[in-house]
Formats: sequence, structure tokens, C-alpha cells
Amino acid sequence: MKPEYGDIVKVHTEEQAYEGILMPRPEIFEKDHTIIKLENGYNIGIDNTRIKKIEVIKKYEKKKEEKHKLSHKKGLPTVSILSFGGTISSRVDYRTGGVYADYTAEDFVEMLPELKNVANLKAEKVMGIMSEDFDAEVWKLMARRIAKELNDGEVSGVIVTQGTDTLHFSTAAMSFFLRNLNKPVVFTAAQRSIDRGSSDAFSNLLCAVNAASKFDAASIVTCMHGTSDDSYCILNRGTKVRKMHTSRRDAFRPINELPLAKVYEDGKIEVLNNNYSKRNNNKVDVADKFEEKTALVYVYPGMNPDVLDYYREKKYKGVVIAATGLGNVSTMNPKFLLTKKIKELTDNGIPVIITSQTLYGRVHPFVYSPLRKLSIELNCIFAEDMLPETAYVKLGWVLAQAHDIEEVKEMMLRNYAGEISERTDEKAFLY
Amino acid sequence: MTNNKMEINYEKLGFRCGLEIHQQLEGKKLFCSCPTLNSDKEADIKIERKLKAVAGETGDIDIAAEFEMLKNRKIIYQGNSEDVCLIETDESPPNPINNQALETAIKIALILNARIVDEIQIMRKTVVDGSNVSGFQRTALIAMDGFIDTSLGKVRIPTICLEEEAAQKIEEGKDFVRYRLDRLGIPLIEIATSADIKNAEHAKEAAAHMGMVLRSVENVKRGLGTIRQDVNISIKEGARTEIKGFQDLKSIPKVIEYEVKRQLDEIKHGKKPERGVRKAEPDFTTSFLRPLPGAARLYPETDVLPTRIGKDYIEGLRKKLPKLLTEKVSDYAAKYSLPNDLAKELVENENFENFAKKFSKIGPLAIANALINIPKEIKARFNLDPSKLKNEDFEEVLSYLNQGKIAKEAVIDLLIKKIKNEKIDLNQFEAASEKQLEEEIRKIVKEKPNLNMSAYMGLVMAKHRGRVDGKIAMEILKRVLGRLII
Repeated sequence: MKPEYGDIVKVHTEEQAYEGILMPRPEIFEKDHTIIKLENGYNIGIDNTRIKKIEVIKKYEKKKEEKHKLSHKKGLPTVSILSFGGTISSRVDYRTGGVYADYTAEDFVEMLPELKNVANLKAEKVMGIMSEDFDAEVWKLMARRIAKELNDGEVSGVIVTQGTDTLHFSTAAMSFFLRNLNKPVVFTAAQRSIDRGSSDAFSNLLCAVNAASKFDAASIVTCMHGTSDDSYCILNRGTKVRKMHTSRRDAFRPINELPLAKVYEDGKIEVLNNNYSKRNNNKVDVADKFEEKTALVYVYPGMNPDVLDYYREKKYKGVVIAATGLGNVSTMNPKFLLTKKIKELTDNGIPVIITSQTLYGRVHPFVYSPLRKLSIELNCIFAEDMLPETAYVKLGWVLAQAHDIEEVKEMMLRNYAGEISERTDEKAFLY
Repeated sequence: MTNNKMEINYEKLGFRCGLEIHQQLEGKKLFCSCPTLNSDKEADIKIERKLKAVAGETGDIDIAAEFEMLKNRKIIYQGNSEDVCLIETDESPPNPINNQALETAIKIALILNARIVDEIQIMRKTVVDGSNVSGFQRTALIAMDGFIDTSLGKVRIPTICLEEEAAQKIEEGKDFVRYRLDRLGIPLIEIATSADIKNAEHAKEAAAHMGMVLRSVENVKRGLGTIRQDVNISIKEGARTEIKGFQDLKSIPKVIEYEVKRQLDEIKHGKKPERGVRKAEPDFTTSFLRPLPGAARLYPETDVLPTRIGKDYIEGLRKKLPKLLTEKVSDYAAKYSLPNDLAKELVENENFENFAKKFSKIGPLAIANALINIPKEIKARFNLDPSKLKNEDFEEVLSYLNQGKIAKEAVIDLLIKKIKNEKIDLNQFEAASEKQLEEEIRKIVKEKPNLNMSAYMGLVMAKHRGRVDGKIAMEILKRVLGRLII
């Protein structure tokens, strides 16, 4: 009998025999060791050159998983959960150690029974990919699926789950793609996988369901830990949020404004920044055209300006520059004159948007002479306090609609989804 | 309680007993670069978390898990940011496994005759009491099938693991539990024996032997709380209990004996003893702590790569294995001409060899005295705590002695000053020169003639306590008196 993963086997070597479950070996590792899970639960690797025989003791029988039926509770709001993959929807198979994603409303409720008392859930797994693999096609699908739920009169709010890495790109995209929003769309995710008792997913999800049920905004928001504690989540505007830490639970921070609200596990919502549109009965429209020939370029000292030739030659339609400080690029150093190449772009009708890699604060077109050169002479568009990532998503969306560079400029500087703040709260820095 | 004088026939009772030894290692933590201190620095990190009992592959949450969960209990973690980083707070993935700790563990496994696994897989063992911030303990089986020889035959050691130490519980309330984080992640070796222990005394012998092996190896922590012995016992018609929290090795036989008698007593009264984890109390009885944990749920730690242990590496380490302390005793006794009893205590002292080399003018016996006997005397005579003395304290005082700045008699006074954190003024202790001493003695003898030798000696030492070597004073005194007599 050929041994397969999951079987109970006896591995015979010259000196001894080990009994246990044959385990899969992760793809990227060399196949020179055989992994078995001993009866005490530990895995060990056995050098294949020592193995004389692997005897199958008992074939693996897959257990049928029974799912509990969900009851519909009268009087509770309905919340739709759309899953797009990521850590929050990964589950560990304890037998093999493999990770799989299979999320239905039943799974969420089984994981977190408290959810039953907050809302009646509808759940659908739309796709299961890691967020670093997202592209505009995913955003388009996402926008259409969300709009369908938002236009369902039964639904009080929509939750989207996905990987954290590009979550803030998705929220920016939805902020522009979904027009005439009527209800909250709450993006949530996990920085720790849900196989651990300490996962942030439980708290994030509970807060997200509360927010989708009750928050009075018609906005795209993120709902993630406010601090390292399992205490409350913060709702950040989709255009003004960024993943600011590789691994912390509270990685998602508002940039250049306060969070819209704090939401607690018990459902309490504390509004911190009431500058948002309220729930309404609009019909949501989808404007999901996106110009893929849009670039985001990070400048640095010693950057070869020829890099920008690529975008011109490849017929890019627009470029966002993450410039230094107030919006500067090299204008005086003859070896690294970025302005020369930027001029070639704008002369060819390719709009260049200036944002700052400081993330916090506003770019300014006139404070220093290089800034004046960029804004006045080269006709660059200074994107106020817009985040570079938000500006990139917005530019792709604008380019797909605008007819000329003047219209691009007008749209880039028009506030569609709170991406530009008129005034900056003093307490917003490093919130 | 049954008559305590009753002799127990362990074999007849179907006594089964195994040990689990947990030993902390020195150096850095197992998966981060934080120090392995028991810190008492003020907590500047305070985090509140909740743990969910995650359903296992069967969809059940096991009994131990449920017992510990105490629904929605708030878990408060605190620590000082100099000792604790984002890895302990479960805000950052683990670093690769600490190689020094791994090497130490493998050395210990080799001394315990175990076979090192070919490729070590780090596992996550689900823990729901909050003592691991992540909700699991990282642990790896590093060796199997070891044994030790004892007076009653082989005691087998089926598994040796290297794992993370848990956080230390410091307070518990109705709806919260508070942990200190500096202990979390200290490398911990777990040595588990088979149920080969024959009786209560045998358990102590086996534990003592493994303790001696552990202390023979470099980078193993010493001192209170750095080693823990758990004893698993059962008797026919009784129940399996796991006893934790032994104060010292000496208490093991008595605690086992009492536990066996407790179970016998319950059986005699028609009761079925309860399975569970029990705590060893100072009066050698035990008290119920919690139910026995269910089968541990382990799954792979995907953030840390498996570690291959090559044959050459193992053979290299085998050549570097340290001498066991028991072997060192006779070495010390011979090399330094020391009595066996003193040598036995000295082998446990990490400083002796180093000091014996460094302070060659003093001689090993005086160094041994300063390290072993004087601290005992300080405790007995002055009721002070000699464990407060640091290595540097001994080194400083012995260096004065080595340079002839103080007399041997001053060592105890200086060490006491160190314990009390008092300033040392060497002038006060400066060894008197022999010429000065002789003058003094002549003066004393002249002033008080016709006393006996020990009376003079008493007067001399009273005046010069700590500044003169008694032996030298005696010689001078004899000389002076001899002359006078002749």
C-alpha cells in the first residue's frame, strides 16, 4: 500500500521504527526528509537516507464536517460578509498543519458565537487570494459585489475581509468606484491567523459586524485594532488609512485626520470625527473603469531620472510621484535632474501628481523654488494631503474618465471621498 | 490520614511514577534577542488581551482548555521594555531558533544517551490559560530514547524537548489574570522519563541525577525557580496525579509518600481518587490545582524553519561534552588537595576554577573557604542572606586578599559589608606588617604580664580583628613569650 499524507505509518530505519501520521512537507523545502507526527503530537523529520521502509498501519479517513444551521433572529439587522482571502480566512488543518480557507456565515458564527446576537449574517467567499496579488480586476469585481449587497434593502451594512497588505489600496479603490454610497462598507482583516487563541480576527470581526449594523455613516472604512489591546477597533476612512507596521495588530492608522470612530466589542460606537456622509436611501452606482497605465514612483537621492523614460516610452497615461518633504525632487543637481524628465512627461500630456513620502502633512506648490518650478513651470498637480497610494488609485480612476489634462487636474483636486482634508486636526499626527 | 509510620510496598501497590524536569537556559530567549532575566523593573508595557479557545480538529474544546478559559477573562500582560520586545507581545513573528540554546539542549540530550532527531520541527502547542501571549507555546522534540542509570536500574527518557518558558502569573482575580512577560520565551529544556521510577526515594535519586547532569553543562541557569520537577504518579485503583511545585529535591520522597497514602486512604473509604494536577505544599501534602490537561494539540510553527541536525555537528558536540560534576569532584579534590566534601560543593560553583587560577597567591583552600564556608557562616552567625553576593563581590574581596591588602580574617567582614551594600574603606582593614604586629604584642605582654597564651591571643585579636592573620599573630606571640620565658 502506498503511504499517503494523513495515513498512520511506521517508518523503519536501520536502528528503530517510528510510528505516527505521515505529514506533508511544505513545497519549498527539499524532499530529503520525511515528516511524521508522533503520537505525542510532535513532528519530527527523518532523514530519507536512513529509511528502509514505510509501512502503512491505517489509512486516513477524512471526517465529514458537519455545519451547524444558522437560525434567523427577528429584529436583528442583516450584515453581508464578502471574503476575498487573506489571513482572516485561513484555517489550519490540525492534522496536516496545512492552511485552507473555506468561509461561510456558519464558519464565522462557529468561530465567534457572539456574532449571532449582533446581526443575522450572510456570507460569501468571493475569492481566496493573498492581497499582494490583487489588481484592478479584483477591485472591479469587489465593487460590483459590494454594490449588489448595498442595494439590497435587507442589508444594513457590508463587511469585506481580505489580506492586510494592500487593504488600504482596496478601500481607496472602493471609495472612488462606489458612487452614491448609502451604508457603511467595513473592511476588516487579521494580523494574526485565527488558529491562535490570541488572533485579532475575533475582536476585529465582532467590531466590524457592530459597525456594519449600526454605524451611521455611508462610507468605506477599515475596522482594525486601535491599540495592541483587545479593547476597541478604530474606523478609518478608506482614503486616509495606511498599513504602518508589518505585524502589529494596530498597524492600520489614520493619516492626516482622526479616525471616524472607535467601536467596542459590546457595540458601543464613539464618534471622533463626524466629517462623513450619513446613511441614506441612495441607489449605489459602480464607476469601476480604471486606467492600468498608471504609475506610482518613489524618489530618492541619487535616483537616475531615466527611470521616468520607461513610463513615457511605454505610453503611461499618468504618474504619481512620492516626492520628498513638501513635494520636492532634484532640480539643481545636474546628474540627477528629475525635473527634466518630468517636463518631458507633462509636455507629452502625461499628468504628474505630486504627493509626499512623509505621508503626514500636505505638499505645497510654492514654499521653495523647486516646488514653484514643478507646479508653475512643469504643470505638476500638487495633491494636497492625499496619500501616495490613494493618489495612485484615484489617478487610475480619473484617467479612465477624464478627457484632457485639465479635467484630470480638476478631478484630482476635487474631493470625492474625503481623500483631501480641508483642515488638519492637530491631534492627527502619529495617531 | 493513614498512619504515617506505615511502610509502603510500592511494588504491591502497582506504583507507577515518571518525572518531568524543566530547566531554564542562560543567554538570550529562544526566539528573540531579549535577555533571560527575572526582572523587577517597573512595568512600562501593559497590554490587555482576550483569548479564545479555538476549536480543534474535532471541533471540541477539550476539558482542560475549557477549565482554563474562564470565559472572556481579561488577560493583562506587563513588563519592562528593556526586557520585552514585540515578539513576547505577539506583535511580531519569531526570529530563528537560538543556536546556543539548541546546542546546549543537544549536549544535554547526548549526555542522557538520547538520539537526536534528524530534522527538528518547531511546533505550536495550544495553551489557553494566557501564560503564552500567542495562545500557544513553541516547542520542539529534539531527542528521543535516552536513559539514565540508577541504583534501581535504567530510567528511560523517551523525549527531550526544547521549548519556550511561559509568562509568570502574578495576580488573579475573578475576571482577570495578570502576567509578567520577562520570563516568557526563556529557553526551557523538558526532560520526560518513562514510568520507570520504583519508589519515592528512587524519584529523588533520578531527579537529583538529572539535576546534576544539567548543572554540568554550560549555559544552564542556576538558582531558585530555574529548575522545576513535576512528578506523575498512580497506583492500582487510584488515579493519575501530576504533582508540581516541589520546594526542593529533599521533599520529593515525602510528598510522594503522602500522596500515595492520601489515595490509599480515599480508596479505603470507598472513594475513587480524582485525577488531576496537584500542588506540593510546604508540609509535604498536596492540594488540587486543576484537571489533567487533555492531549496536547500541536501543529507546526510555520514562522520558523525546521532545523537539520547533521551527523558531523552531533559528533562535534559529542567531543565537546563537559565532564559531569560527579567526575569533577575527585578531580578537584586531587588537583587542589581539598577535602571531598568541600570539592563536592565547589564543583557547583562557577567561579572557583577561575579564581584559583587568578588569585594564585592565596591558595585554593582559602578561596574555597571564601566561596563556600564563609557564606554559610554569614548566614548562621549574622542571619544575613549570602545569596545577595554577586560574583564581582567575591572577586573584589579575593583580589584584596591576593594583593596582601587585607588579612584572611577580613574576608568575612568585607563580604558582610558587600551584602549590606556598605562602602569599603580598605585602610580600616589594611593588614598590619609583621614588624608592627610584633611591637604591639610586646607592648601588650609588657603591660599585662603573666597571662596565658590564649588570653594574650584574645587581646591581640580583639585589637586587630580583621587586620592580622591569626596564624602569624600566634607565631609572633610564641616567639615573644618564648624569649621571655627563656
